[in-house]
Order: sequence, then structure tokens, then C-alpha cells
Amino acid sequence: MRDTVELLEQIGRDASLRRASPEVLSSALEDANASEGLRVLVAHHDSTVLAQELGLVERFGEHMTQTGAHEDDTLLN
Amino acid sequence: MNLPTSASTETLSGSIACVGMGITLGSHLTPISRNCIETADIVFAALSDHVVELWLERLNPNVVSLQPYYKPGKSRMKTYREWVEVMMAEVRAGKKVCAVFYGHPGIFAWSPHKVIEVAQAEGYQAYMEPGISAEACLYADLNIDPGRVGCQSIEASQLLFFERQLDPVGYVILWQLGVVGDRSLGRFRTPDAYRELLTERLLQDYPADHEVIVYRAPTLPVEGPHIQRVALRDFPLAEYTGHETLVIPPAQALKPNVVMRARLDALDAIHGSGVEPSITA
Repeated sequence: MRDTVELLEQIGRDASLRRASPEVLSSALEDANASEGLRVLVAHHDSTVLAQELGLVERFGEHMTQTGAHEDDTLLN
Repeated sequence: MNLPTSASTETLSGSIACVGMGITLGSHLTPISRNCIETADIVFAALSDHVVELWLERLNPNVVSLQPYYKPGKSRMKTYREWVEVMMAEVRAGKKVCAVFYGHPGIFAWSPHKVIEVAQAEGYQAYMEPGISAEACLYADLNIDPGRVGCQSIEASQLLFFERQLDPVGYVILWQLGVVGDRSLGRFRTPDAYRELLTERLLQDYPADHEVIVYRAPTLPVEGPHIQRVALRDFPLAEYTGHETLVIPPAQALKPNVVMRARLDALDAIHGSGVEPSITA
């Protein structure tokens, strides 16, 4: 089975695959011997299997607050 | 002749580069940011997708995730200050540090700006390399040129915490919808009622049936952008994962500035209009 992270990087920099239809992408994943999780994600937009395969944990993405909120009111100064 | 002393020009051995990973795995990482990552002694990661973090570990095995510093109920500002301290500790230890943030490291991110400010004040080399931001993806995926009629880009909570004037002639983009209205800075999501309050605020400037766009850029290259078009009144009912952005297209046409146009006519009469003279046969 092809390494999932490596395959994703390859797809990410391949202009013919990055915007490919789900059918073309599914076929490419089949040819590349992609993991079941990746194939399910593309076919059904379901990341559950991929998350299990890679041990994925939800990441929090807020890296700032511009409000100060209860912390302080830096924007008012 | 006075020469500067060696002490005044000496750069301390530690350094930090804040770089952007871009949004989509494999597609957006710039060559210079990739080089910063690959050549660093230690890499700190603040990424929005675990798969991207796994990719980062392939580029440099010495990755420290900043995610564990987040805690439910803990102010995010405390977390961000801790990030600065943990990164500076490595810089002060003489390490070549790379801090990696998703998207652009300088957009909607407090700690990269702060750590550069602190490091430079202490005499260390510190700089930022730009990355492809969620906003850059949005312009491409929605075919929007922010220069056409202008674009306001604001954290959604600012509309609830402060008196802000929106410009319905241009685009308005509201960020961090998942935690809109959270004054504790300790919640990872706020209930739908907070987005309903935001809608109430927006209805002061826009009609209820004005079409708005809920947008999410893809982090994995096998996915496309997530685009939901809904009437403003239905915006709280859209599907949310916590990573969405609200795009409000213009609701009003540009209105000519009659006074300034007359002033321009007067200036053109003195300086010429710049129009090529027409040639008559």
C-alpha cells in the first residue's frame, strides 16, 4: 500500500490531479494503490477511515483574537 | 575615524523564521519556507489539520506541535503567550528555529508577530516568510478581485464587541465564525445562537434575502473548496465545522462623487486631462 502522506503531497503538486474529477482521482488512487481511507474520502467525502488509519486528532485553528475580549482591550488604546 | 564596536553589530547565534505552510497539502508551501523548515534545528507547528502536521514531520523530524497548549476553558491569549515563550527559549539557547503556521503566518495570528518583535528586541535574527492564506484561496475559488470595489476583512467577533461600520459597496469577509462572540477566549466553538446574533447585526446593513457565501478552503488536495450560498437570514443554519469564513458580496452600487469629480475637472483644466488628443481628418 502506498504511503498516504507521500501520495497526498504528490497529488498536491500535480496540476493534472489537483483539480481532477472524483472519477479520475479515484482511478489514480486505485493505480497508486492508495489506502482505503483515502479512497473512501474521495468517493464518499468521509474521512472517518482515513482518521483511523493515520490516528488523526482534531486540530484547533484559531491563532489570534483581535478583540481582546475579557483579557484586555488593547485595540481601544 | 569612529568604527562601530563589535558588540553593537554582533548578531546572537539563535534565530527564528516564521513561515506559512499554505492551506492545501503539497500545493502551497513556497520553496523558501520549505527550505526554512528543512534546515531548522527545531520546528514549532501551529497547523489546522493533523495530516498536514504529519507531512511537516517528513520535512523535518524535529517538530514540536503547539496544539497541546490549547485547553478548554483556558484563554487563548495565555496559550499564545506561552507559544512565544517556548519558541524564544530555543532561540535564546542558540537554536535555528522555524515556526510554521497554516496559511500565511502573519494573518490572523498573534504569536508570529510577537515572537519576531521580542526576538529582534533581544538582538536575534527574526523574520517572516509569507504563505498562501485562506483569503488568497477564497479570492481564487470564488473568482473575487478584492481591488474591484474594495474588501473589508474583519474577525466576526469585532462586529459584536465593537461599533464597526461595514461598507456594503465592497466585499465584507468575516473570519473565525466558529468562536464568534466568545469573550472568554476559552471556547473552541460557540453555540448557533451566537451566529444568530451576528446575523442580527448584519441585518442592520444588508437585506435579509441578500446572498452570502460560507466558504472553507481545502486542506487536503483530494478535496475541493466548500462553498455554501445562502440568504443572509439563513446563514446560522449553514453547515459548520469551525473553519468557515463568511463572504458578503456588495449590496449597493458605487455612487459617483460629484464634488470630487468637479474638483478633478478643475485640476485637469490646469494640468491637462491625460487623454490623448483626437486626430481629425
